[in-house]
Amino acid sequence: MQAMQGPPGYGPVMVLNQKTKRQTGRQAQLSNISAARAVADIIRTTLGPRSMLKMLLDPMGGVVITNDGNCILREVDVSHPTAKSMIELSRAQDEEVGDGTTSVIILAGEMLILSEPLIHDNLHPTVIVQGYNKALQEALKICEKLALNVDIHDKDRMMKLVQSSIGTKFSSRWNDKMVEMALQAVMTVARPKGDKNGDKSSASNPYNHKMEVDIKRYAKVEKIPGGEISDSCVLKGVMFNKDTTHSKMRRRIEKPRILLLDCPLEYKKGESQTNVEITNTDDWNTMLRMEEEYVENMCMEIIAFQPDIVITEKGVSDLAQHYLAKANITAFRRLRKTDNNRVARATGATIVSRTDEIQETDIGTECGLFEMKKIGDEWFCFLDECEDPKACTIVLRGGSKDVLNEVERNLHDAMEVVRNVVYDPKLLPGGGATEMAVSMGLRRAGLKVEGVQQGPFLAVGEAMEVIPRTLAQNCGVSVIRTVTQLRAKHASACDGSEKSGEYQKYNWGINGTTGELVDMEELGIWEPFSVKVQTIKTAIESACMILRIDDIVSGSKKSI
Amino acid sequence: MSAPTADGTGLFIQGQRESGQDVRTGNVTAALAVANIVKTSLGPVGLDKMLVDDIGDVLITNDGATILAQLEVEHPAARVLVDLAQLQDSEVGDGTTSVVIVASELLRRSNELVKSGIHPTTIISGLRTALKQAVKFLKKNMVMKVSELNDDHLLMAAKTSMSSKIIGKEGEFFAQMAVDAVKSVGMKATMADAAGLENMIHSAASTSQDAKEGEKKVKMKYPLSAIHILKAHGKSALESHFIKGGFAINAMRAAQGMPTAVEGSVEEPIKIAFLDMNLQRHRMAMGVQVVVKDPAEIENIKKREMDITKERITKIIENGAKVVLTTKGVDDLCMKYFVEAGIICARRCNKDDLKRLAKATGGKLVVTMADMDGNETFDPDCLGKCTAVREERIGDGEMLYVHGCQGSGASTIVLRGANEYMLDEMDRALHDSLCVIKRMLESSTLVCGGGAVEAALSVHLEEYATTLHTREQLAIQEFADALLIIPKTLAVNAAKDSSELVAKLRASHAKSQKADATEEEKALKNIGLDLVEGAIRDNLAAGVVEPAISKIKSLRFATEAAITILRIDDRITLAKGQQQ
Repeated sequence: MQAMQGPPGYGPVMVLNQKTKRQTGRQAQLSNISAARAVADIIRTTLGPRSMLKMLLDPMGGVVITNDGNCILREVDVSHPTAKSMIELSRAQDEEVGDGTTSVIILAGEMLILSEPLIHDNLHPTVIVQGYNKALQEALKICEKLALNVDIHDKDRMMKLVQSSIGTKFSSRWNDKMVEMALQAVMTVARPKGDKNGDKSSASNPYNHKMEVDIKRYAKVEKIPGGEISDSCVLKGVMFNKDTTHSKMRRRIEKPRILLLDCPLEYKKGESQTNVEITNTDDWNTMLRMEEEYVENMCMEIIAFQPDIVITEKGVSDLAQHYLAKANITAFRRLRKTDNNRVARATGATIVSRTDEIQETDIGTECGLFEMKKIGDEWFCFLDECEDPKACTIVLRGGSKDVLNEVERNLHDAMEVVRNVVYDPKLLPGGGATEMAVSMGLRRAGLKVEGVQQGPFLAVGEAMEVIPRTLAQNCGVSVIRTVTQLRAKHASACDGSEKSGEYQKYNWGINGTTGELVDMEELGIWEPFSVKVQTIKTAIESACMILRIDDIVSGSKKSI
Repeated sequence: MSAPTADGTGLFIQGQRESGQDVRTGNVTAALAVANIVKTSLGPVGLDKMLVDDIGDVLITNDGATILAQLEVEHPAARVLVDLAQLQDSEVGDGTTSVVIVASELLRRSNELVKSGIHPTTIISGLRTALKQAVKFLKKNMVMKVSELNDDHLLMAAKTSMSSKIIGKEGEFFAQMAVDAVKSVGMKATMADAAGLENMIHSAASTSQDAKEGEKKVKMKYPLSAIHILKAHGKSALESHFIKGGFAINAMRAAQGMPTAVEGSVEEPIKIAFLDMNLQRHRMAMGVQVVVKDPAEIENIKKREMDITKERITKIIENGAKVVLTTKGVDDLCMKYFVEAGIICARRCNKDDLKRLAKATGGKLVVTMADMDGNETFDPDCLGKCTAVREERIGDGEMLYVHGCQGSGASTIVLRGANEYMLDEMDRALHDSLCVIKRMLESSTLVCGGGAVEAALSVHLEEYATTLHTREQLAIQEFADALLIIPKTLAVNAAKDSSELVAKLRASHAKSQKADATEEEKALKNIGLDLVEGAIRDNLAAGVVEPAISKIKSLRFATEAAITILRIDDRITLAKGQQQ
């Protein structure tokens, strides 16, 4: 297609750049669908409790072992543009809700696969898109009806919830431990919004959650190789990997007064270029003395407030160490800004940037116990037992770095799950029950849709079944038998609710471990509402976007 | 075709030369190739293109101008069409695809005429006459003056423009959002603006009498730059939202100790300071050396450095600023002052965003604090006012929302969607709709869409052509036929029988234009295509409308581009650098 064939006898007319490649019409649509199918196939086996891990080797020889959908796809180097677009989906899902990255890809892939016969039937893509969107709205309504409200302070319920969402990730041995840690960590950093000013923000904004949960900043995961996973814990405070600046300083203080600094405790020249012309020898001495005096002054200003611990983000000179050690103060230097912020939040201190501006209120006193511990051959500083800590550190122990990395990823997912429930305390049944209910609901509603959109509408219903199907597949039970049984159960429930005219919740799904059909209510497998709904929304919307493409032009130069 | 030495004229050209019919046919073929590329994206059932560049970045779009800009079009005549689409995009903002299609069709038909022995200049003058006549007819018969535009018309127009786009299926939702957004930034035009606007409307859509009436009214203008579109992936498209009188900037609080929100009210607004300077430790400019004799001085210099910034900050705080935004850096050293005063401070903000926000809140971007007397002061007039500033979490990041701006008004649309590509396309589609609404509000005239105008013009021009006795008649007839390409392409994209539909369309328009048409028959002039059903219908009633000004402009641009290409009868491609 690069050259348009001119009228006979005139030869080709070159319009586009020679290197440009084009795929148009049916060909483009089908190649998009097969790319989506390929991406979905990569991660299909990582869904559910019987999922397997993937080992990925990067060009540098590094190894990643994971079953996190987003993580796998991030490492895979794809060239097809549609496949790239699919991978973007799982990234968006990860950033928005932090879970369901595998299901979103599988679902989007299935939506596209099921649109293939429709395209072959010469249904116009815009019609398919319309049908899909109608189905999306209907599916959301069904989810809304299925949802169950939950009290976030009900610990047992929360435990079960998190367990179901990360059940696929850890081996059962540490499951309880991890779940408890995730729960504890999130509850520590959660706090009602606007408590500082005492006013509530307007309700018009959809991002206005009543709670503020900033996991990224305030719940830090510290991985220390060695020990056992069961040694991991959530601190009621923070921990960082630093040793005291001077070996003579105290290593255990109860109820310490903590001062946080953001300035160097050493002599530093000014920013402007300054030269001093020295004409007699006394001046030289004065200068040296001044430098010392400067440091001494700073230390005296600090000592005047009698802190037990001084932590600074910058350096501490030998001279300052001497003064501080003499005043029985423990000092740490070169702490990261993010760590310092966490310490500030946990201990109630304010970070001070000039020593002459220290006030009594800046000193943090909420920490219960300061202790230096040696783990492996490194020293770690623990600021533990804080009253009402608003930040925490999660200490992870484990055999090797790879294990720790995987545990961290999973713990992260678990914390996201808790956060989502804290934001929006609504749950949907897991184990493919929601998908099956939505699928059944769509099939029923689809029969009432008039016109050509009925086909695509029903296709969405069918596509939703991919989740229970994949679950069954990954357990190794007979897929067809299990899924048809489940479908039959849901169908009879649907009949029931149609007769009584009232929507009955029906929570039967697949037990991902055994492959048996169970009531999710009894098994206690629940997932956050926001994750499920986001998955369905993203999957359908992205499928629509890809379906609308009828021309792929590649190789054009980057436009500016 | 190539004539380096031996074409008998003795002229020596280093390179290639094409002339006469060869080059004309070549140009027309190239133009058609370009039109073919964008053709399938026209209309409510048009599809999108996926463009992949050489490093693998993906762009999914339906916008003609964007598609053509991304393609590397090499043929010179085809480039003219690409520029044409760009021009339409910047002037009108919508209708980029249709303008390219019409221009290429005009070229194709003109080329046939040339082949049958009519001189291009005759054709050109024919096209000009046809254009003039078309615009006259359009203004007289097709344009509907809407004395008081109500929201319905705007919604209809917005929906029409986005119907072909990715957000078309949620047209209702986004149309409302776009209308709200444009209306929220409306402001009284200054005299100069009003005059310019008047001219534009004058020449385009209204008769002189209307214009005089218009002058009495206060003209409004709608600067689209005041509408800020932010994109954040995640959630679904329907969760996009519009913040009236609000502005969101992509910046975070500089320190975690700062409050996440400051709240005020209309009576006691929050004051915002906009800075375009460093709040870092003061330092002399490069190359400035300070030489001191007394070593004690050096200590003072150091202290002074810190104090200068501190004084600046204190001055800003003293003037009541609760939010401080700067385009440059803020020293960690200075954070504490803000934290203690409970002020939100954000650094490294986008300068353009800050300028707009300053305008929206009635503040000024402060470049320096020096005053005429050589002292440093902070002018309280530079502070912008709003009712609340909050930091909200969106996706994985944070953004600062400024609510209730009390300046000239600004609004923000936050778009959500499945992934980046989708957001980019939504942004482009929304921009087109915003342009359409703006044009409608400014000119308050509309025409029917869905091929109605083109069919009517075609019928009229054919009639008109028969009244002429010159050879231009032929060109006008071709012009009339060429316009039908729009309804034809619309029908083809919808996989409908284009010949039948266009015939029906023409029949009803011919009826409405009869000299003795009844009122009922006259109303047939609004008949256009219904592409979902594959039938014809009254498109005014169905709510498919476009601003008249964009139709007129696109006709003009298309004709002029066609004329430009038609005039070419020689192409010389110089060989590269052989002179040296």
